[in-house]
Amino acid sequence: MTMQSLRSWPAKVVLYLLLVSLALLTAFPFYWMFVLATHDRSTIFRAPPPMWFGTATAANYERLLAALPFWRNAWNSLYTALMATATTLFFCSLAGFGFAMYDFKGRDVLFGFLLGTMMVPGLLGIIPYYLIIRWLGWLNLPRALYVPGMASAFGIFLMRQYIASAVPAELLDAGRIDGLGEFGLYRRIVAPLIKPAFGTLGIITFVGQWNNFMGALIVLKERTAYTLPLALRSLQGLISTDWGALMLGTALSVLPLLAAFLVGSQRIIEGLTAGALKG
Amino acid sequence: MERRPGVRVLVSAIVALVLVVAGSAGVAARTTLTVGVFPDLDSVLKAVIPEFNKVYPDIEVKLQTLGYADHHNALLTALATGSGAPDVVAIEIGYLGRFAVGGGLTDLSKPPFNAGRLKDLFVPYAWGQATTADGRIVAIPTDIGPGTMFYRRDVIQAAGLDIGSVATWNDLVQFGRKVTRDLDGDGKPDVYLIAAASTIADAMYRGNIPEGEGVYFDAQGRPVVDGPRFVNAFTVAQQVRRAGLDARIGAWSNEWYEAFKRGTVAVELSGAWLAGHLQNWMAPETAGKWGARDLPENMYVSWGGSFYAIPEQSKNKDAAWKLIQFLTTRPDIQLLAFRTTNAFPALRAALEDPSFDEPVPFLGGQRARRMWAEAAARVHVSVIHPGDPVAQEIVGSALTQVLEEGKDVRQALTEARQLIERRVRR
Amino acid sequence: MAGPGDAPMEQASRGAGAAGHPAPALPRPAATRTGLRARARPGRGAWWRRRAAPYLFISPFFILFAIFGLYPILFSFYLSFHSWNAVGGLGSMEWVGLDNYAFLLRDPWFWKSLANTVLLLIISGLPQHVIAIPLAFILNSGLVRLRNFFSSSYFMPYITSTVAVAMIFTTIYGTQYGALNTALAWLDGHGFRWLWRLLGLELPVNWLGRAAYIKPAIAMLVVWRWFGWNTVLYLAGLQTIPRELYEAAMVDGAGIYQQFRWITLPLLKPIAFFAVTLTIIGNMQLFDEPFILTGGTGGTSESGLTVALYLYRTGFEWLYMGSAAAMSWVLFVIIVGLSVLNFRLMGRAGLERRGA
Repeated sequence: MTMQSLRSWPAKVVLYLLLVSLALLTAFPFYWMFVLATHDRSTIFRAPPPMWFGTATAANYERLLAALPFWRNAWNSLYTALMATATTLFFCSLAGFGFAMYDFKGRDVLFGFLLGTMMVPGLLGIIPYYLIIRWLGWLNLPRALYVPGMASAFGIFLMRQYIASAVPAELLDAGRIDGLGEFGLYRRIVAPLIKPAFGTLGIITFVGQWNNFMGALIVLKERTAYTLPLALRSLQGLISTDWGALMLGTALSVLPLLAAFLVGSQRIIEGLTAGALKG
Repeated sequence: MERRPGVRVLVSAIVALVLVVAGSAGVAARTTLTVGVFPDLDSVLKAVIPEFNKVYPDIEVKLQTLGYADHHNALLTALATGSGAPDVVAIEIGYLGRFAVGGGLTDLSKPPFNAGRLKDLFVPYAWGQATTADGRIVAIPTDIGPGTMFYRRDVIQAAGLDIGSVATWNDLVQFGRKVTRDLDGDGKPDVYLIAAASTIADAMYRGNIPEGEGVYFDAQGRPVVDGPRFVNAFTVAQQVRRAGLDARIGAWSNEWYEAFKRGTVAVELSGAWLAGHLQNWMAPETAGKWGARDLPENMYVSWGGSFYAIPEQSKNKDAAWKLIQFLTTRPDIQLLAFRTTNAFPALRAALEDPSFDEPVPFLGGQRARRMWAEAAARVHVSVIHPGDPVAQEIVGSALTQVLEEGKDVRQALTEARQLIERRVRR
Repeated sequence: MAGPGDAPMEQASRGAGAAGHPAPALPRPAATRTGLRARARPGRGAWWRRRAAPYLFISPFFILFAIFGLYPILFSFYLSFHSWNAVGGLGSMEWVGLDNYAFLLRDPWFWKSLANTVLLLIISGLPQHVIAIPLAFILNSGLVRLRNFFSSSYFMPYITSTVAVAMIFTTIYGTQYGALNTALAWLDGHGFRWLWRLLGLELPVNWLGRAAYIKPAIAMLVVWRWFGWNTVLYLAGLQTIPRELYEAAMVDGAGIYQQFRWITLPLLKPIAFFAVTLTIIGNMQLFDEPFILTGGTGGTSESGLTVALYLYRTGFEWLYMGSAAAMSWVLFVIIVGLSVLNFRLMGRAGLERRGA
């Protein structure tokens, strides 16, 4: 099998069919979420469930706004996620650079330790987490959500692995000869080379924070400080849930992510154009 | 990107630390009372707060609404850490047992509350659920869910049967054999007795609990889940499943709602609250086709209910107690709640209101509310135990093993008892 | 690789190495190079800065960990030797020694949940990578257009909120009207009956009710949610592989499979190590998916009960916080063990770096 044979049109048709059906499979829930957002709960729970748009959108929206300060909550989510993304990208790439490109005493031990912290199940941490945030006086503040994860082990691990494979050591030496300082190496050489990793980590961080639920539940006590996941879930009762309003709110909350991801994946592509640098 | 953000964060962390250590206390002329609730109780509060402020204009009520499970989780964290709980919290019956232990909730039997004097105002079993074995009163009941049997008049009539013939659980099984029918001749029944056989067991082992005993534990705290009450319940459920009389539909699924709409199940056992949901959104088009009656063998069970409590850490206990009394002891407010969300009142005076004698059109004009009020009065007072949640889980697991995997009833229950014994010892 | 003690030497040798190759040209930003170079001639200060820089770069993690990470870990370690019903407040802990651990080792539900977790790790972890790697390769190969569109749509499940996922999948897995069973029934009528016989499926399948089907149902949801996430990771990794390598291989007559086998797979190791490690860590702590599909219970005969879910229920629903803490430490030890195993199998290469 050669590249040529894959370029023949029957092979291409099969390939596209495969890719498109996979795409449909993953995109379907999105479509369906938007469909359900236009129904109220008496038609959502039909069997078989509705597959086409309904007429309850305006009514759902009205009830959503009556139940929640929705746009306020959306702003909280956006602000927290943006702050998380900006700080995480910076601190994680810097630390990833440190771990990937330097030999220093204790590096392997420290890196092993960092990996080890990812393996501690986090669930029981929520009680001490609350105590720390209260002690810092950060209850109801966005920073209570994004500061603890600014230099996440996951992000550093991702950046380290990426930098190790994307940045040739020779480039750094050349940079040093050209008189760049250590931070200058990061800013002028490493950062431009790792755009795809910025894109990936950026999206993952943004989405992760946007959907962060457990942390928000513990440190946000005011309705006006709620982020979207918390606010939307507050519509869920034991037996009574306004599913129409909830689905509309969920659909609206996913829209910005969709936009962010489309922009983000653009950046991944851009990273390819830096290919000229890689010998 | 410069390194400044990091520095700024560190500085602000230090500043924040200093501020916290310095501390601050706000002094307000008006009392602000925070109230933590979950849906639908938030609708009740929204309707009641204006009335409350007519009487207490100097108390400002702030609602903190969270999802049902989230609300109870946040409350657990707040109690564990001793801070962050609202001044008044709603607690659903399924969570009450675990929050009652320890000293997290204010004992309302003590002065200045002296809630003991309110005891006779409420349906006895609801009051009993909020009283611990050592006599503390940790919450005040606001709504209850007396267990009942809903049935489809049209479906049963079409089968030429009479629901009145069902006096015992065994009768129900026999009734099920006749009502479960294949109408279109495809070899599969089109009408079943009930959605899930497990519901029958759930109802049976919660009924006729001996006075002074809990659902799963006796007065000494020993698990009783391999006793006759459970063996009997499991055996009947197993008969129903083996005879193919249940549709094997889980509650709160699309299949469940659809079965109600299409009339493919003849009966359903549930709390009285199900009627409101059937009418409002599950199956509004079936109005008039339903009926309700007591469970077989005059079994009276508790099926849901909510309470209000004051966390010990609250700084506004006085105002909190005013609100709780307003919500739970005033008949007009309890009736307002009933009209808002169909929450069946726990206050006896509210149940004596003439509106409870009115016919319910959804149930074919039956005077069902009076029947439920009387059923509620007959539910035995049972004792809550901190091990109830884990026991409920283990028993539920034993039941699915019996129904789904064909395990022997006695063996399943003996194992369940051993598991519970080991778990609650610590 | 030079030892940590002789940095200046290392710098010199690397410089020589770089000079020996036709090194890629740096985008030289300004003509003032020579001036800068004169100032930064490797003197004492530069040497010291180079030694200190990595510590400075990695310090934010350790500072934040000291503030936000250390205390929770110590707390849960301390807790694992106590009996604590959380509603009693922090003062109500009781020392029980190793009792929590002893209970755990004899607790049938714990062992069951551990077996479930490991089984789910395999049946939901493996397919993610088996799908993601070739998919990323195809998307990166330039064989298909709309790469952006495809990778975006594969990533979508990660974006969806759990509320939406819960709604959608309980409906898909519905017994009578579920989309999956509807599809199976259609196939059944079109000559696929032998397949169900082979698999031992009985239509309609009670996906979330029967013990035997819960794990496959969970695994399908996990794969659906995460294969795109891994695809994006691998895509980022593939972009570090120079296009020239493929072109050279093609000139030498290598087919697409040979390219994949001899260029892509070896050079993908750092990212593959990263992705596999994350799958191990993530799936051993699998919580969301079984929680969603079993309504938080673990399902019939606890067959969907993972350790993380059991831990949550033990601590937060049944209020045996000490037991839950002990469980999280046992789980931690197991995850570390599996990660070390992974490291032994592929890590050496996974942690190496280019140009070193």
